[in-house]
Amino acid sequence: MGFSKFKVEINYVLILVWRRLQKELMSLIKEPPPGVQVDTESVGQNLTQWKINIAGVAGTLYEGENFQLLFKFNNKYPFDSPEVTFVGPNIPVHPHVYSNGHICLSILTEDWTPALSVQSVCLSICSMLSSCREKKRPPDNTLYVKTCNKNPKKTKWWYHGFVTHSCDDE
Amino acid sequence: MLTMATPSTSTSTSSQNQTNNTPTIDTEPSPSVSSDSETHDKSKDDGDGKKDESIFECNICLDTAKDAVVSLCGHLFCWPCLHQWLETRPTRQLCPVCKAAISKEKVVPLYGRGSTNQQDPRTKVPPRPAGQRIEPEPQPGFQGFGFGDSSFSMSFGIGAFPFGFFTHTFINDGRVPSPSGTAQFEDEQILSKLFLWVAIMFIAWLLFA
Repeated sequence: MGFSKFKVEINYVLILVWRRLQKELMSLIKEPPPGVQVDTESVGQNLTQWKINIAGVAGTLYEGENFQLLFKFNNKYPFDSPEVTFVGPNIPVHPHVYSNGHICLSILTEDWTPALSVQSVCLSICSMLSSCREKKRPPDNTLYVKTCNKNPKKTKWWYHGFVTHSCDDE
Repeated sequence: MLTMATPSTSTSTSSQNQTNNTPTIDTEPSPSVSSDSETHDKSKDDGDGKKDESIFECNICLDTAKDAVVSLCGHLFCWPCLHQWLETRPTRQLCPVCKAAISKEKVVPLYGRGSTNQQDPRTKVPPRPAGQRIEPEPQPGFQGFGFGDSSFSMSFGIGAFPFGFFTHTFINDGRVPSPSGTAQFEDEQILSKLFLWVAIMFIAWLLFA
């Protein structure tokens, strides 16, 4: 493969990423799901980093609270999942959310598919919060926050096990 | 705008029209079209057109599907998009929408009228899997024109030359004669007359030379 062809492919990929992000942004601004709001100012600065405000659903443990999610997209999006973390002053206290904002949610790593979107990830996180019965941090929170990589996608998550980074409630 | 709305109306009601000639309002997917064609305004048409278009959007790039393929579970993708996804996780090939098992062999290309049909999809990178086409049962009777598919044959050899010529020309070597009136029949008539004349000329030349 010649260098020029490689370069053309990279450009093509970047255009595809950009187009898809544009489309997602438009639909999220036009028809936002309830309780989800894009921080258009942050997106205007950098299309690959979105800040999204999420409101706790009424009638759940998080009613009245506001959270902020940070989405980071790499140039493999949507074939690679976005990096999603809670940011800002209020990190939800939840058995699947570490105090540094990392979220244990399978669709953010191994169960990601390119048919998922920012909107569907937001809805999944909302539903994860809404279904919570007891506000508490994951059992291994202190150790994980001390030792983990900055990027939650580097963490080897165990979604069904009982090992270090298990998100099971038991 | 109207040109966009008109086909969308017909596609949405076509299934009803086949069984029942009176499309009812409650079966219409989009109320904006069903109510009254005269009340169309631009914004309504716009919305309806978009809604209808999104049915044919690739589930990965969210654009109208190019080199469209559909999985056996019924989900539409651009072939380049799906190909890239299959390459991303070669050991765990799942439909991005419903997570059904999929593979390169099990997707069906969609050929729209006058779209990429003229261009061989295999010339593109990555090559799109070709559609599987099974020939229909051949129809009896009409066989086609020309030498290409009729059983015209020529042979050269040594033997009792003029007689060999005769046998070859005048004895219909076991073939069923074509029914009269067809183009095939006329073809054969012309051919046999031509050979008869060639044979006569040849014999005449042999005799008089």
